[in-house]
Amino acid sequence: MMEIRIIHFYPDLMNLYGSHANVKVLRRYLENMGCTVTVQRLSPGEKEPLISGEGEPDFVFMGAGTERSARAAMEDLARFDTSLKSWARDGIAMLFAGTAMELLGREIREPDGSVYPGIGLAEFVTEHQERGMTGDVYGYTELYPQAMVGFMNKSGLIRGVESPLLTRLKLGWGNEREGGPEGFHQGNVFASELTGPILVKNPRLLETVAAAVLTRRGVRLPDPLPRDTLGWEAYAVTEEQLRLRISEKAP
Amino acid sequence: MKKFFAVILCKMLHFMGKLTGRGSSLPGKAALGICRDILGRIELPERIIAVTGSNGKTSTVEMIAAVLKARGIKVVWNEEGANQIEGIVTLALSHASLGGRVKGEVLLMEVDERYAAEIFEYLCPTQLVVTNLCRDQLTRNRHPEKVYEDILSAVHPQTELILNADDPLSSCLARGRGKVKWFGVEKCSVSADHPTGAYHDGAYCPVCKGPMEYDYVNYNHIGSYRCPRCGHARPTPDYLGADVDLEAGYLTTGSGVRIRLSLRSIYHGYNVLTAWAVCCNAGIPEEAAASVLSCYRLKSGRVQPFTLGSHRGMLLTSKHENSIAYDTNLRYIASSERDCVVLIIVDAVSRKYFTCETSWLWDIDFDQLNQLHVKKIILSGRYCKDLAECFSFTDLHNWSVQPDICRAVAGIRTRGSEDVYAVTCFSDRDKLLAHVERH
Ligand SMILES: [Zn+2]
Repeated sequence: MMEIRIIHFYPDLMNLYGSHANVKVLRRYLENMGCTVTVQRLSPGEKEPLISGEGEPDFVFMGAGTERSARAAMEDLARFDTSLKSWARDGIAMLFAGTAMELLGREIREPDGSVYPGIGLAEFVTEHQERGMTGDVYGYTELYPQAMVGFMNKSGLIRGVESPLLTRLKLGWGNEREGGPEGFHQGNVFASELTGPILVKNPRLLETVAAAVLTRRGVRLPDPLPRDTLGWEAYAVTEEQLRLRISEKAP
Repeated sequence: MKKFFAVILCKMLHFMGKLTGRGSSLPGKAALGICRDILGRIELPERIIAVTGSNGKTSTVEMIAAVLKARGIKVVWNEEGANQIEGIVTLALSHASLGGRVKGEVLLMEVDERYAAEIFEYLCPTQLVVTNLCRDQLTRNRHPEKVYEDILSAVHPQTELILNADDPLSSCLARGRGKVKWFGVEKCSVSADHPTGAYHDGAYCPVCKGPMEYDYVNYNHIGSYRCPRCGHARPTPDYLGADVDLEAGYLTTGSGVRIRLSLRSIYHGYNVLTAWAVCCNAGIPEEAAASVLSCYRLKSGRVQPFTLGSHRGMLLTSKHENSIAYDTNLRYIASSERDCVVLIIVDAVSRKYFTCETSWLWDIDFDQLNQLHVKKIILSGRYCKDLAECFSFTDLHNWSVQPDICRAVAGIRTRGSEDVYAVTCFSDRDKLLAHVERH
């Protein structure tokens, strides 16, 4: 039986908008495919026996937090800076959802003028605004044909993303502007400011991430991949509602 | 002259609105159109009490008003519940003389936390009450820390704050201020040792983000906290709920005054204590305030009985996008003892705006329904599959899905005679009430 190890960074500090559901749904999906999954919940300052003792994880996750929580998270995450970069190079799957995405970049600028560095896994820069950017999102990724859905709830404009996760938006806020590209994707590193359980809301993305995890471990994927049935049914409702919304708004 | 027209127009529209049953924000909106700073131009009562926060505003305001009225104090308050700037303007102007003098001894306002800055720009409350700050309508509010910052920037230095000592976040409003009164509840029969619920917003200190310690929590992150790193800790309450006994149904204050609770929930206990604190602070004798609050039945109550065939039903109106409002109702169902069926409806996330955002469902602790007397759970409405996905991660197995609300209700009607609890939001409750026998 394949053993899969997940590191969940800061599950209490970075857990706005139902972020924790991403780990739940991925875990169940992998378990349904016959894997034994262990999730290590890592809090700031905590030792990390799983990584130091037994080598690399299979999946790394961090969810959304407030701007101040993200800054506190970054203070701790800095000690993983080398590990995270080498994991990314090694093709370990990661998902940084919500504000966590900002920490992958080079730096984060606050409205008061203060600046703090991110991990620097990518070159983008986040500029927090006084006003929040919120609203439903509907767009497309180059990974698969189905539309991505979700909700944007952020204050950061992210500039300099070269390889976005969503390349085309028909509704809502992207990295730098409304309707612009959103998120970040490079190798097996997935990031999106789309809040909430992005893997629950987008079962196709769940399948993609799970496939990335398993392929790296040399597992031959079943064809077709198993489906999270309820997830797909819920997705169908949201996808339709948003599509109707877009056609209503169109001139 | 602008002021005069604004007052006249607002009064006329308010009068017409009353005849046609229209909303209470339109007249204020029209008045603001004529005179943007109208709130600053009229003559307001000497005491202005504003109540804001995430949960419990409406109930608390209603109870304060009841006490003030019972004491013969003329109070102008937003009974109609409109708590944004337009509603506040309607409230003030519809009670004003043509010269713009608000006729009352106390102006008591429920204020939407997001509109505090706009409202307080022209009006300076003598007292500002903050019930608590929790996750609520995050699609508009972003997150509780953002709401905190919005309120902080709106507070006048001369306003006296009446704050929840047990809330680590809203209690920060007192930092660097002198005029603060605290209310809080001691450890009681329903307290837990650690933060409870599906998420832990109280796990980290809102001041320094260090890990927090708790002596006890009364719900979610509301309790007795202490940050070992920076010293942020629960202050000693001036108005104390020394004992909340939900089984016996009373609250005893630190001064030994006993208040009977019409609703046996900790959330209601906090609202009653808050109302009592505000009234005592306004100079009303403790016993007198307590006697009005004892067994006070809320008119804005969110509990509505109905009959469904041979079932006795109860609608527990919740608020979508507010996990604590849901947790409150689920906790109530869990504490009931008779066999029951639970119907949860999520159809329109909001009645005011469009969104498909359902991530707030993951913040609700549905496992609370894991009780022997909860026989069946039915999930209904447009977003029932999102609900179902949440339920698929609980330890519960006795749930089923029926997207069509009418069919879900009919299905319950034709079978059994257990109690029925319907949990849904204001935005969806008429969709249920259309299919049941209302009392
Ligand atoms: Zn602290």
